[in-house]
Amino acid sequence: MSDTKKQGFIVSSLVGLRDWTNDRLPIVNAWEKHMSKYYAPKNFNFWYFFGVLSLVVLVIQLVSGIFLTMHYTNSAEAAFASVEYIMRDVEFGWLIRYIHSTGASAFFVVVYLHMFRGLMYGSYKKPRELIWVFGMAIYLVLMMEGFMGYVLPWGQMSYWGANVIVSLVGAIPVIGEDLLVWVRGDFLISGATLNRFFALHVVALPIILIALVVLHLLALHEVGSNNPDGIEIKKNKDANGIPVDGIPFHPFYTVHDLVGITVFFFVFCFIIFFMPEMGGYFLEPPNFQEANALVTPAHVPPVWYFTPFYSMLRAVTVPLFGIDAKFWGLIVMFGAIAILFVVPWLDRSPVKSMRYKGWYSRIALLIFTASFLILGYLGTLSVSPGRTVLAQVTTILYFLFFFMMPWYTKKEQTFPEPSRVTGRWITNKQVVLTLALLAALVLLPLKAVGAEVTVELDHVEMDVRDQASMQRGLNTYMNYCHSCHSLQYARYERTANDLGIPTDLMMDNLVFGEAAIGDLMDNTMRPEHGNAWFGVTPPDLTLIARVRSPEWLYTYLRSFYEDGTRVWGVNNSVFPNVGMPNVLYELQGDVICSNNASAPEDCELTHVDGTGQLSPEEFDTMIYDLVNFLYYVGEPIRLKRQEIGVYVLGFLAILFVLVTLLNREYWRRIH
Amino acid sequence: MSEDGTDSGRRRFLLGSTSVVGVAGVVGAVVPFVGSWNPSAKARAAGAAVRVDISRIEEGAILGPIPAWRGRPIFVVRRTAEILDALPTIDGDLQDPTSAQPEQPEYATNSYRSRQPEILVLVGLCPHLFCSPTPRLAIRAEPFEENWKGGFFCPCHGSKFDLAGRVYNGSPASRNMEVPPYYYETDNILVIGEDGVGA
Repeated sequence: MSDTKKQGFIVSSLVGLRDWTNDRLPIVNAWEKHMSKYYAPKNFNFWYFFGVLSLVVLVIQLVSGIFLTMHYTNSAEAAFASVEYIMRDVEFGWLIRYIHSTGASAFFVVVYLHMFRGLMYGSYKKPRELIWVFGMAIYLVLMMEGFMGYVLPWGQMSYWGANVIVSLVGAIPVIGEDLLVWVRGDFLISGATLNRFFALHVVALPIILIALVVLHLLALHEVGSNNPDGIEIKKNKDANGIPVDGIPFHPFYTVHDLVGITVFFFVFCFIIFFMPEMGGYFLEPPNFQEANALVTPAHVPPVWYFTPFYSMLRAVTVPLFGIDAKFWGLIVMFGAIAILFVVPWLDRSPVKSMRYKGWYSRIALLIFTASFLILGYLGTLSVSPGRTVLAQVTTILYFLFFFMMPWYTKKEQTFPEPSRVTGRWITNKQVVLTLALLAALVLLPLKAVGAEVTVELDHVEMDVRDQASMQRGLNTYMNYCHSCHSLQYARYERTANDLGIPTDLMMDNLVFGEAAIGDLMDNTMRPEHGNAWFGVTPPDLTLIARVRSPEWLYTYLRSFYEDGTRVWGVNNSVFPNVGMPNVLYELQGDVICSNNASAPEDCELTHVDGTGQLSPEEFDTMIYDLVNFLYYVGEPIRLKRQEIGVYVLGFLAILFVLVTLLNREYWRRIH
Repeated sequence: MSEDGTDSGRRRFLLGSTSVVGVAGVVGAVVPFVGSWNPSAKARAAGAAVRVDISRIEEGAILGPIPAWRGRPIFVVRRTAEILDALPTIDGDLQDPTSAQPEQPEYATNSYRSRQPEILVLVGLCPHLFCSPTPRLAIRAEPFEENWKGGFFCPCHGSKFDLAGRVYNGSPASRNMEVPPYYYETDNILVIGEDGVGA
């Protein structure tokens, strides 16, 4: 009795508050216009999830980005260390950073699929031209946002990527050189560039992005959503003026989108918790090395979402009209984006959707998609003559799709459009066949131009659950490596805890000098000494297992051999002419290049029997333990990350079941 | 059954359960963001216990330069026998003369608020709004108190504390100054920030 009275009071208060507000701000009206009385076509399919998912990712990026700025330091001296500080010292900092780095890639995944949907169903055609134009503006700003964000961690890829892309400004005739210096604020990429990119990435571009998203949505809700059939549902209304094929966005599409959002979160979290580097595509290995203006990494591919355009830039190799190729590459690259803006006026077809367009359009879209994917993949590789030709061909195909559009959309035989929206149009078999055809179109040309050559490395499985192995590895590190190298982002205390070493034992046996247990595992050797002794400063090893790979380290450390021509009397077949002496020589014994190869890479290494304090097997185990420790210290959170991931995915699986049932419940009677 | 023929019981159950699970998910997602505001490993390492040599403090003087623990000023005062004798005589003017409130570790819950009577260790912050009080150790007339018996005076809002860090009546502060955890490593080395073994 008192319960219902109480509830009645709460509800009436809320209604009162709503009415009070609504008299002053039209919230009810806005809710109805954009949600409960926004009539969307009821035949949305899989492709219609990516619009709302773009919004979800936008929110993810804004929230995680705001929290990252709380811990990030935007100076050339401290930026890199502050990112590792976030990854190691800030509670859950690793998670927030992985959310943001994965979110950047996820943003482009959903936006590319969203754009493809628009191309496929003619969502850019009258009356939706402005929606498309705003959308392209969003895409352009997003690319700038992604580029500048990638510079902020101040790793090697940040630095050299920024260097390459910013240098394009210099290709502009006459004013290019001066403009370039102005953009960088220096004569090379420097802290000045970093600081202005930080301001643009964190303040200016997000504001523009949000404004454009609002415009995109307002324009959409003014004219209404397109649908897979590309017919206007507003042409067919019932007595109340409601489109017969329309359905209120809320609740029907809110529950529907919840299913898509949950699936998205499942994939998103799987990447964050189990493969945050995404095989080097989301976080590139060289970016775990601090920016160094004096050494360019062997290969500087941009992040995957820029690679199609990067390929086009590289594909232009001929000067024209007395202006060098670099400028024309720039024109082609920006032209490839600019041409997207005018698509609504290139398409002359009487129908919108690919369902009713003719075969010319369908084949054109297929070839265009394959070209884009090929260009994207080529952009991640280094160049070779074959690849350049393929990039040139696919660049031309990319542009032909647009240049020929006025012709083939007009010329082709279209199919009659239905008067009412239809359900599923393509069968499972047709989906599989189309995907297979696309895969063949992408993979066969790529196969023809050859794969990347890789160095043969010894295979080895790391095990960060094996504390005993990592303890032995730490011991080896402290005794043989720490006098020259450092682990300047790791702390003694955390390492001791993670490896199961009591802190007092750690202090007594493995912490040297004045260091306290909470300190960073810095060393005492000064960089200038390292330079004088070895010709290079011995690198910090905290992230070496992420820069290289455990396999590389394991092979490298076992590939020293005698070479009297070198300063230290040793060379290395994995890292030719390396500056590091074989500090483990007494343990390993003599190894010789038994085939007397002239190039270190070609050496066959043979251990001289009876030399060395350890047997070859014992030595291998010791190196394994050392690498296992370095693998751990590269990402100390790894084990916990995966443990948390299992729970997160389990939770999302339960949520998926519930939202699926809820969606089915609401759509039960909709046909 | 509602008018459009939907099973409203099932719908309500699904809405309810999805909402509950969804809210749980949001709470779970908020945890890392809230957690990221806690002191980082760097802050905690910087806040580790500090060693202080007290051999150079003269009778009736405060250790200078003032050491810091967790970034907060630490007052270490060597009290004379007269000061210690005078402490009980001012009990009547104090808000918490017996240190009933938990502003000190157990081993400092005594009339001197210290492990050894003569050495006073305090966090040099006023419990009112965390300004650092000025040491006014001498017994003499002060502008803020004609009858000053020595202690600490907070310049921000005028709180007054005696030479055991106990707050006087009539101060904006209502608690005594905090005594940090500490122990004697040797006779002259104080470790501030840890209770030590057997505490």
